[in-house]
Amino acid sequence: MLKTFSMERPKSYMNPYLAGFLLGLVLLAAFFVTGRGLGASGAVKSVVIQTVGSVSPAYAADNPFYESYFAEGTSRPMRNWLVFLAIGVLVGALYSGFMSGRAGFAIDKGPRITKTTRLIFAFAGGILFGLGSQFGRGCTSGAALSGMAVLSTAGFLTMIAIFGTGFIVAYFFRKLWIR
Amino acid sequence: MGPLIPQGLINADLSLFFAFVIGLGFGYVLEQGGFSNSQKLAGVFYGYDFVVLRVFFTAAITAALGLILLQYMGWIEHGLIYINPSFLWSIIVGGAIMGVGFILGGFCPGTSFVAAIIGKIDAMFFVIGLLVGVFIFGSFYETFQPLYTGSFLGNILVYDSLGMSREVFVLVLVIIALTAFIITRKIEDSINGIAHDPHFLFHPSYRTPFLLMLGTAMLIVFLPAAPRAKWYQKDSQTLLNTVAAGKHYTDADELAFKLLNPKSNDLLLVDVMKEPDRSGFRFPEAIRIPFSDLLNPSYKKLLKESDKKIILYSYSSSLSDQAWLLLSREGVQNLFVLKGGLNGFFETYFTDKPHATPKDEMQQFRDRFIEEAHTAFKTGQAAEKAIIKKSPVTTIVEIEAPPAGQGGC
Repeated sequence: MLKTFSMERPKSYMNPYLAGFLLGLVLLAAFFVTGRGLGASGAVKSVVIQTVGSVSPAYAADNPFYESYFAEGTSRPMRNWLVFLAIGVLVGALYSGFMSGRAGFAIDKGPRITKTTRLIFAFAGGILFGLGSQFGRGCTSGAALSGMAVLSTAGFLTMIAIFGTGFIVAYFFRKLWIR
Repeated sequence: MGPLIPQGLINADLSLFFAFVIGLGFGYVLEQGGFSNSQKLAGVFYGYDFVVLRVFFTAAITAALGLILLQYMGWIEHGLIYINPSFLWSIIVGGAIMGVGFILGGFCPGTSFVAAIIGKIDAMFFVIGLLVGVFIFGSFYETFQPLYTGSFLGNILVYDSLGMSREVFVLVLVIIALTAFIITRKIEDSINGIAHDPHFLFHPSYRTPFLLMLGTAMLIVFLPAAPRAKWYQKDSQTLLNTVAAGKHYTDADELAFKLLNPKSNDLLLVDVMKEPDRSGFRFPEAIRIPFSDLLNPSYKKLLKESDKKIILYSYSSSLSDQAWLLLSREGVQNLFVLKGGLNGFFETYFTDKPHATPKDEMQQFRDRFIEEAHTAFKTGQAAEKAIIKKSPVTTIVEIEAPPAGQGGC
């Protein structure tokens, strides 16, 4: 099922508490440097803004969501902390994946669905997450995790809203993931 | 000390490099923790794998405890930490949409990047979906705006919302997390059909995090209220000793000599007089920092980064003495006060004095120098000698925080 690029057997995952501790230290480093935590959906937003701004400058100039980014004509959405953070994430994950023998083309899915179904739902889930992350002013990392680390009410609310809803609707989509 | 960027301690280009390095760590840890596998991630909602909960809670608590300790040590400025704003209904609606997205997609944005780059095709579809989702939000921005910017409660803190002290809240949070670790372990074992484990409550896998988290949370609860001096600050006893011995004074002679010999001038002169009292007189290249603005971050930064001998002056030395104490406490190094102040300086160099009886050689040399300086200042040679150029630091530009992370997450 997993066509890995290396011949070794994939190594096992890190102890979750150790991983959490290390992630906490990375988050702390982010606060120490920027005063803000980590983020992932911010980079997605930058890509969308850059793309729309390049493809149709007229549309971007007319839409309040985009116009502030291009108002002075000098701002470059891609030259942004979160974009460089995301590039780092990609490189760091690629290194980890290769070193642990986990890099390779694969589709992870529950046992009862086809690969096509999995891909359709992954796409749909991405759309919802992208939309929701804008309302939430951040996703699991930027709003929930970083927000909880600074003990903001918003962070805890986001966490409860994401996981609470997840648990509520999990039953209806159980076919996607379990037998 | 921290945070570095909002205080302007590192420049914009370097900050992007930092972003990349921190991203490396973020991506590496997520992948190592198993977040590149959507089936593992979805496990948290069905009870067969709680890796998300373990990593997520441990990370949030580590960072929260770490931030409190860093603030306590004075290594990070609390006021410059970004507190996520609470737009109540936008958060709830957004969180709910994300929750459904999580179940359908099996990822969140960060984990989907990690999975996509190592070849998970489902994650690549999820990432494309993310782009579409953000585009939809942008397209209907005007429709969504009332919800998006409505019900704003401020940048509020959770312990205030709950009416608790920060310390008690953190302890409660740790206890909730540890309880969750125990319970989810039981659930996971029973769903995966693993036989009863002999450790019952304290499974070895979370023994260390238990001790560390609970220990740190207890430490925070029992920390004495008054924080220690910040790492860069001098303690009061050292300052008292220096002032009592008058070691913080610098002689007017040195100043006069260096003013007349601009090439050897390694002084940064700072006029700390209050705005209305200010004299029109100004030493060449002296900068003005009104007493009330001494603690302005821009000025502090300027003084801290100066490699020159800094000399504070006012009319007498009393105001500059006070300024010396304040700035030394804030960690400004190589700092002195002009002995006798501006008045003393004028007294020595601008007033004609009768010649006293001959003294020792050193004293005579000094007298000669004073006389020469006196003449030079009076005849305006000093102005000619000192190359008067506009000091680059006379007007201080406010340091702007970088627009890091606009739009959150």
